[in-house]
Amino acid sequence: MRFALCLLLIGFPLSASADWLWGSDDEPQPQVKVVKPFIEWRTGPAVGYPVFHTSEKGEWLTLQKRRTSWLKVTDHKGREGWVKVGDVLETEDGTGERVVLNQPRFDDFGSRRWEAGLLMGQFEDAASTAVYGGIAMTENLSAELWATQILGSASEIRMFNVNIVHQPFPQWQISPFMTLGAGHIFIKPKSTLAVPEDRDNSIGHAGLGVRAYVTDNYFIRAEVKDYKIFTNRATNEEALEWKIGLSVFF
Amino acid sequence: MENRIKRILLKGLLMAGLAAIVPLAAAQQGDRPLIEPDVRPQAVKEALIDTENFEVGLVTGLMKIEDFESSLFWGSKLTYHLSERFFFEANVGFAEGGKTSFEKLAGNVLILSEEEREYRYYNLNLGINVLPGRAFPTENYAFNTNFYLIGGAGATEFAGDTRFTANVGVGYQVLLNDGVAVQFTVREHLFRIDVLGEEKTSMNTEVSTGLSVFF
Repeated sequence: MRFALCLLLIGFPLSASADWLWGSDDEPQPQVKVVKPFIEWRTGPAVGYPVFHTSEKGEWLTLQKRRTSWLKVTDHKGREGWVKVGDVLETEDGTGERVVLNQPRFDDFGSRRWEAGLLMGQFEDAASTAVYGGIAMTENLSAELWATQILGSASEIRMFNVNIVHQPFPQWQISPFMTLGAGHIFIKPKSTLAVPEDRDNSIGHAGLGVRAYVTDNYFIRAEVKDYKIFTNRATNEEALEWKIGLSVFF
Repeated sequence: MENRIKRILLKGLLMAGLAAIVPLAAAQQGDRPLIEPDVRPQAVKEALIDTENFEVGLVTGLMKIEDFESSLFWGSKLTYHLSERFFFEANVGFAEGGKTSFEKLAGNVLILSEEEREYRYYNLNLGINVLPGRAFPTENYAFNTNFYLIGGAGATEFAGDTRFTANVGVGYQVLLNDGVAVQFTVREHLFRIDVLGEEKTSMNTEVSTGLSVFF
């Protein structure tokens, strides 16, 4: 009992506050009718959790929330459990129509609007970590915003870039692309070096890369970029960067 | 005799009554289930279903900083669940380095200033739920659990510089309900440091516990 109270004390204010924060909507939760012989219920949103109940054909389920490709459902007896989105797609709603829910597939990869990702690699000899967000303007063209941190043995570099991406074959599962962009670089030498002097310069860059659709709404992205750093000295500098990472699209 | 007549009459009445009810009941059963749930003729729309793929949490524990003692550590995490198996996680953490044994033994020597002893990091990671399951603390309670592996890279600001830092670790998550979870993690943070003479790999262990909410 004490244990339960403790849990309640921890869990309740949080779930209650979530309701308070997002507002408990008055709109009723959607309901679906099972039309295939049965649907399995699991205790959690993964196939690793055990099946503890099944709903038979004709039963009505109320859809509560979604996590990845699982839906939390309740039945008329107040039982709670998780069912696969794929199973819910084979149910009917209150109007007798087949349920349509967003289940990202390869078809959606071509028509994506937003993408965001995290890539890691090397900038010359230093480790580079980058995050980016992009918006597709047409099937072939998209614009992107990048933030990169490069940590080398001699300096710390921060870089902000804007670039245009052109992909000639949007319908391919492994789709190559070209990039062209500009940005700014901030170089801060290590404090242990003799004459530390901060620098910031404009940069221009061009690159080649590839997007490879994996599953659901994510893909692997790999690219090589060649940077031209415009210094105020006699010569400009050049740097090569490669990186690979995982991206999500919406 | 009277009794028997009564019984026959009553039986007759009962049978007649039943005969009248039974077809009605049968007709009812044929058309729809006995208990008709309260169903609204409403279409299912994506927008009506709340999606909870994000998780935000606070973490606290102990951070052992190589050569610089251990200290209380606190931080936060933001997780995005890509699928039931994979997730992205971003972390920030704060701790404070103590004194090296040399500083303690030599007395009046300080290698780092107070400000340089502040240990701050961020990292971006990929996690994988390897062992989802159930835990049964007592007879009456069962919780969904996850055992996960996590690894990634980021940067650590310590001893006057920002250093590229890789990290690997394991975690055990217990879901108190479908929206709140507690976690226990052990992670190793690795970076190259040359503050104490020659450059070496510094191994820093974080042992922590946290509470998170899905949204």
